[in-house]
Amino acid sequence: MSLPNLHTDTICALATPPGVGGLAVIRVSGPRAIEFCDQYFVGKTSLSEAETHTIHYGWWVVEESRVDAITATVFHSPHSYTGEHVVEIGCHGGVFVVEQIIGSLLRAHARLADPGEFTRRAFMNRKLDLTQAEAVADLIHSQSRVGSQIAARQLAGGFTRRLAALRQQLLDVIGLLELELDFSDEDVEFVNRSAFRDSIAQILREIEATTASAHGAEVLRSGFHVAVVGYPNAGKSSLFNALLQRNRAIVSDIPGTTRDYLSETLFIEGYAVHVSDTAGLRETSDQIELQGINITSSLIEQSDLVLVVNDASSGFTNSDPLVADLRVRFPEIEIVVAQNKIDLVTSETDSPQSLDSIRCSAITETGLQHIREAFFDRVRKSTSSVSDVLLNSRQMQLLKLAGNDVRSCQIGLEQGLSADFLAVDIRSAIRLFGDITGDSWNPDVLDSVFSRFCIGK
Amino acid sequence: MFHVKHSGTQHFDILVIGGGHAGIEACIASARMGSKVALITMDFSTVGRLSCNPSIGGSAKGHLAKEIDALGGAMPRIADLSGLQFKMLNTSKGPAVWSPRSQNDKDLYPLFAQHAILTTKNLTVVNETVVEILVQKDVVIGIKTLSNEVLLAKAVILCSGTFLNAVMWTGTESTQGGRVGEQASQKISDLLTSHGLTRGRLKTGTPPRIDRWSINYSQLEPHHGDEAPAPFSLQTHSVRNQLACWATKTTSETHDLMRDGFSRSPMFTGLITGAGPRYCPSIEDKIFRFSDKSSHVILLEPEGLAANTVYVNGFSTSLPADVQDAGLRSIPGLRNAKIQRYGYAVEYDFFFPYQLTFGLETKAIKGLFFAGQINGTSGYEEAAAQGLVAGINAALMVQDKGTFTLQRSEAYIGVMIDDLVNKNTEEPYRIFTSLAEYRLLLRIDTVYDRLLHHGKQLGLVEPAESERYEREQQLKTELLTDLRSSKVTTAEVNPYLESVGEDPITESTTLVNLLKRPAVCACDLLNISGSTFQTVRNEHPRALHAAETEIKYEGYIQQLYRDVERFAEQERMTIPPTFDYNRVNSLSTEAREKLKRINPSSLGQASRIPGVSASDVSILALYLR
Repeated sequence: MSLPNLHTDTICALATPPGVGGLAVIRVSGPRAIEFCDQYFVGKTSLSEAETHTIHYGWWVVEESRVDAITATVFHSPHSYTGEHVVEIGCHGGVFVVEQIIGSLLRAHARLADPGEFTRRAFMNRKLDLTQAEAVADLIHSQSRVGSQIAARQLAGGFTRRLAALRQQLLDVIGLLELELDFSDEDVEFVNRSAFRDSIAQILREIEATTASAHGAEVLRSGFHVAVVGYPNAGKSSLFNALLQRNRAIVSDIPGTTRDYLSETLFIEGYAVHVSDTAGLRETSDQIELQGINITSSLIEQSDLVLVVNDASSGFTNSDPLVADLRVRFPEIEIVVAQNKIDLVTSETDSPQSLDSIRCSAITETGLQHIREAFFDRVRKSTSSVSDVLLNSRQMQLLKLAGNDVRSCQIGLEQGLSADFLAVDIRSAIRLFGDITGDSWNPDVLDSVFSRFCIGK
Repeated sequence: MFHVKHSGTQHFDILVIGGGHAGIEACIASARMGSKVALITMDFSTVGRLSCNPSIGGSAKGHLAKEIDALGGAMPRIADLSGLQFKMLNTSKGPAVWSPRSQNDKDLYPLFAQHAILTTKNLTVVNETVVEILVQKDVVIGIKTLSNEVLLAKAVILCSGTFLNAVMWTGTESTQGGRVGEQASQKISDLLTSHGLTRGRLKTGTPPRIDRWSINYSQLEPHHGDEAPAPFSLQTHSVRNQLACWATKTTSETHDLMRDGFSRSPMFTGLITGAGPRYCPSIEDKIFRFSDKSSHVILLEPEGLAANTVYVNGFSTSLPADVQDAGLRSIPGLRNAKIQRYGYAVEYDFFFPYQLTFGLETKAIKGLFFAGQINGTSGYEEAAAQGLVAGINAALMVQDKGTFTLQRSEAYIGVMIDDLVNKNTEEPYRIFTSLAEYRLLLRIDTVYDRLLHHGKQLGLVEPAESERYEREQQLKTELLTDLRSSKVTTAEVNPYLESVGEDPITESTTLVNLLKRPAVCACDLLNISGSTFQTVRNEHPRALHAAETEIKYEGYIQQLYRDVERFAEQERMTIPPTFDYNRVNSLSTEAREKLKRINPSSLGQASRIPGVSASDVSILALYLR
């Protein structure tokens, strides 16, 4: 196979997250990738003589001084990620080392890669199709194990196949419609309206099921969001800390976008749950605190679940006005009440009103497992509809538009609109599907018609 | 004017070879645009022959015929003059597929066609057989005739129909088409090939013609024309229906009888290798491919007022004569049918139309244009539309003017020529409404809005001729204004709404609002509102229909206009004409080959070439960026 020569320049970039880490990988891709690396690589053999898919240990030497001990993995075109010659340099993760190596490659006339350029080259060299390229991006951004698995399946083409199947169903429908339009004056079997109605309804159901799973997909991609709210001194912060403490080892810091609340991530069974501690909610005239409370409102809006922390020692129903208020203001968001400080409750004068009420204590750690289970339960519920399709917002948008077209066709069908109008809707939906999967719509309607139907003249 | 023989060389601007439906349009249009034109035909009396159906128009073909009219072509007027029955097809199927069709007198049609040619200025008829097309350094310079005469010209339009290397088949017996010309046609086909043009082989067939007096009509169902028959042409004031067609059906006995003859069919025995049309299959094809169907519709179409023959539509065949006889006689009404002329198949050479420009000039030989079946198309209307476009472009070439092309979003003619240039013809190409992305915009009622200005600009439609259209246009505008401003009260309109199954209204509303409801029709509303436009319905049904369609389906129509804009955008993403596709290694081999062969001028055009995938186009787009 010949060398793809779409690009004449060679690009390089750090492929692992920047910063101090144990190891870093620098990827070099392009017709001169191997040659450029050979200028600095000193090992047993030169990289130019190395076979494809082999790994080599040696030193990165710049102007006779050793920068780092590295491994160089060599891929020959076209059997690489980008389809070009690729060298992946594994080095130590310090900023200095990485800068030295990339700097030396740039002096050899490699170019610093643009964002996404490796993947774009992979697409242009037909190593990936459009949805696969999108899946790579999803994989990189995925926050959960399940999300990664789905993105990986998408990368393998499963998503494309599912959409292709839906598109094929639409093509079958349009085939029938066009047959009716092209040969209405001739000897053909006409479209059975009730079968037509059924297949339209079925296609619509599938599109709706797919778009409905989008919320779950978002949870898989970016995680489940919990807002911890409550009156001041209900023990929110201590509960927040207690919830995260046990998992300190696997807690990851997410740089706060605002300094007014604290957000950390908890991993439950491979799912990312982002828990945000908020300012206390109460009637106030203090300007700064008001601001904090406003932020809390917008935070709640973006949450999948609200954990109301109640100081059970001052009464189980103490926070009920807050819960009632939240129900009115955010009717879509589920609420769980944590009856905190249960260890301080001596006599129960009232009983919790809410069913979703968990007795717990941040101090004794009683009931924390129940809270985590409650989170997991909701995560599972919201992601259960996500089977093998992970839609990103572009695909989501197009699929919704396609759904609108199919719905419009359904309405038209009910109103008795003629086939030439129904065909406009279906054709539009097919084109949108093609836009999602990256297939063009080739109106090769006649082929699908004639393979199955009898036409007379 | 008939040609008088001179010795020596004659000079013309344009030579049109062949007087079929393509040739007629080509010679008349180019002559009317001011070129000095000669039509060269072996026998002028055969010019304009309806060699297959005695009919013009039909699904999508009717659209082509109307478009030819808006561009000032000849076919629609000839069809009106020789028409015996007129029908608007598909009126129950929606405005986009309304399509006019006529039954025509096969004896009168050629006479009117010949008359049109003889009365055209700047046009000379030469009764001769062409033996050679003269080409110098890849530029056409003229032709040589059988009597060794040379005619020189700046452009030659070849409209040879099925004439090139034609072989006719009835059963396993074959005859070479057109004895005298046979050698000549072989030579022309080879000469074109030697200039690098690639040819292929296609097949078409025709059904038997039977004696009209041998049919038992009492067993048949008559098919009449429309109550208010409408002509094809804006120039024709009125037409009338003069006869009926008759419908019948094949039986399982017919199928058995014909199956017995398959062993002697040139199709099944492999004697014919050319690809035939899928949509107009022979009866043996239908019986073989759709074996579960026990009956096919047959339409008996009288060939003319004085003609003794009836065309058996739906029974195209090349089976041996005895099988045709037996098969036909098993059909109700045809027990005693006498075949006047047996059905046969014709196999012929065509040239792959991707070798043409959008003006229908060959890329290999400058000044040489192809139109009609030589481009792999089937049908009178398809041929006529190409003849018109080739004639216009040859005349423009002579005048050193640019190319005349129509967009896919503008006309079925545009769809057809774009398809021909971009797609690989593997079977005879026939126009269908499904081929048009913007079918809803290319309606019969918009044809003059879309194309009349082109016809006027080219000088093919006289200003006086378009007056009738302009009157209707004016009327439509007034009507739309009236519908938008007139209101009806609840009392006036609710009984009507209920009667057609629509919800009643609660307060007065405009007619436009009501008209958008599916079951509401414009003429009823005009009656109820007491509009001054009530009479439009009878006097100008076209204007009323156009206004109603425009209002009723406004949403859909607007959506398509937006699509057209996007389409135009893709057409503006140009690919340099000298672009080297070899540089883009990651194109698929098939895509690269097709792109090199067709050399599309835009990414939009590239995306329509079969074998060029969306990925290929994306890669090109990224590369060209």
